[in-house]
Amino acid sequence: MELFERTASELSSMLRNKECSSVEITESVYNRIEKVEDKVNSYITLCKDSAIEKAKEVDNAIAEGKDLSALAGIPIAVKDNISTKGIKTTCASKMLENYIPPFNATVVDKINAADMVITGKVNMDEFAMGSSTENSYFKKTRNPHDTDRVPGGSSGGSAAAVAAGEAIVSLGSDTGGSIRQPSSYCGVIGLKPTYSSVSRYGLVAFASSLDQIGPIGRSVEDVAMLYSAICGGDKMDATSKMREYPDFKANLSSDVSGLKIGIPAEYYGEGIDDSVKTAVMNAVRELEKNGAIVKDISLPSTEYAIKAYYIISSAEASSNLARFDGVKYGFRAKDYTTLVDMYEKTRSEGFGDEVKRRIMLGTFVLSSGYYDAYYKKAKLLQQKIKQEFNDTFNDVDVIITPTAPAKAFEIGENSDNPLKMYAADVCTVPVNIAGLPGLNVPCGSDNGMPIGLQIIGKEFSEQKLFNTAYAYEKTMGNLCKIPSLD
Amino acid sequence: MDIDIKYIAKLSRISINPEDEAKFEKNMQEIVDMVNGMPEISDELILDKNNAMTLREDVAETGKFTREELMKNAPEVQAGCLLVPKTVE
Repeated sequence: MELFERTASELSSMLRNKECSSVEITESVYNRIEKVEDKVNSYITLCKDSAIEKAKEVDNAIAEGKDLSALAGIPIAVKDNISTKGIKTTCASKMLENYIPPFNATVVDKINAADMVITGKVNMDEFAMGSSTENSYFKKTRNPHDTDRVPGGSSGGSAAAVAAGEAIVSLGSDTGGSIRQPSSYCGVIGLKPTYSSVSRYGLVAFASSLDQIGPIGRSVEDVAMLYSAICGGDKMDATSKMREYPDFKANLSSDVSGLKIGIPAEYYGEGIDDSVKTAVMNAVRELEKNGAIVKDISLPSTEYAIKAYYIISSAEASSNLARFDGVKYGFRAKDYTTLVDMYEKTRSEGFGDEVKRRIMLGTFVLSSGYYDAYYKKAKLLQQKIKQEFNDTFNDVDVIITPTAPAKAFEIGENSDNPLKMYAADVCTVPVNIAGLPGLNVPCGSDNGMPIGLQIIGKEFSEQKLFNTAYAYEKTMGNLCKIPSLD
Repeated sequence: MDIDIKYIAKLSRISINPEDEAKFEKNMQEIVDMVNGMPEISDELILDKNNAMTLREDVAETGKFTREELMKNAPEVQAGCLLVPKTVE
């Protein structure tokens, strides 16, 4: 077994037992990148020199017997909308093609403090808007399990890199499913944390009230460890919560006896493939065999969640993306006459079509005369969806649903049809709307393509999500197999 | 609901090529039709006091960045200032 195939927790103990060095792990990952990157296209920017340098530092510190974090020396890929000081952060947009942040996002400071090795910045849908990573200005990332298919999105690079062995773990961001849906398509484990549990400082804003950064990995332990490393309140993000977080890995338990699992009928209806329903319910039965109690529940407002989501997220996006005007940083059009002409040309040439559509939808729903009919109604609906989830959690501990309605679709299949593309997020957006945590766990396959289930819990119940997934992982064995890509 | 795509584009400070107008209009019309049809909810929006933001003291912090560092990404700089087209005649 090569080092890049191992999990972060395995590598962590190997480092401590001096069975390998961080430089060897990092080189193994870069060799893998060299071998498969032209097939997968996960990365926008690679930073091999700084990665090897960091790995050497970690090896020296281990040799000196220093007390390092469990994640020290482990290679991690970072989504390209998370600011990295001195390393390009493009958001996969022409608008930020040459933008080099003068500061680190708080999560990047945290993974640096944990002595992780940043391998590079990974591809995404432009400004995190999309479900296939086809909206990247630079390249199309391919699904490692079938390179004719999309990896999902918007964190397609983050999920594909981990699935292909081009990184051990990664960071993505999730506004409507952007960690969970690509994790489902690529067969890896990905967490969208409770809103406010991870600092958004330095995450280029799409929809500030919904965005969360989260971890992706190939084992429950790895995702729990990385979540522990990045969560916590931050004075630089006024929406982040100052509270105590447990050591999620140390508290992992595979005991699910008595755990009450809710199965909401609305997530298993029309539009969800039979292969997906079967795989998810088979996994639920495994948990039931381990002592969990399965209950049918109902979340009646689910069908409206996608409407509320596109209104709220686009409204916020239209405001957040107003900053891209060609004045202080980023792209500026060449030929212009007046200031307004410069704004318009810069934005028209710098943004791709999907970003333009979202900005225009947001502008429309907030424009004079339409606010009550759209934005206010959507916010009321959000309140109702939250309430339904909260009421449900009086009766059950976790909810299990499909993560995506079907396996990954083919590249180009939905490119000309925004509505078909939006439907890929139907199972994940309600969780963002309600601010809850959601975890994707691989639970089977359809003709070789991974299928994922989503575990949803109440606010700050990540430990319960991890434990449920851990119980399933213990029963089934390794859930994330790296395809050979030969 | 008919969308006046030119007006919305103008508000968004985006100009759309005449040859793309029909495509954007069709896309936007479909998206707006999709988000329509939300149920009437008579409730009031309630502010969740448990989720109030934690604001920090309004104290200026200096020394984190130099002026040069912050101007490095600017498209056009002259004499240490950001350069834009004339805004006042």
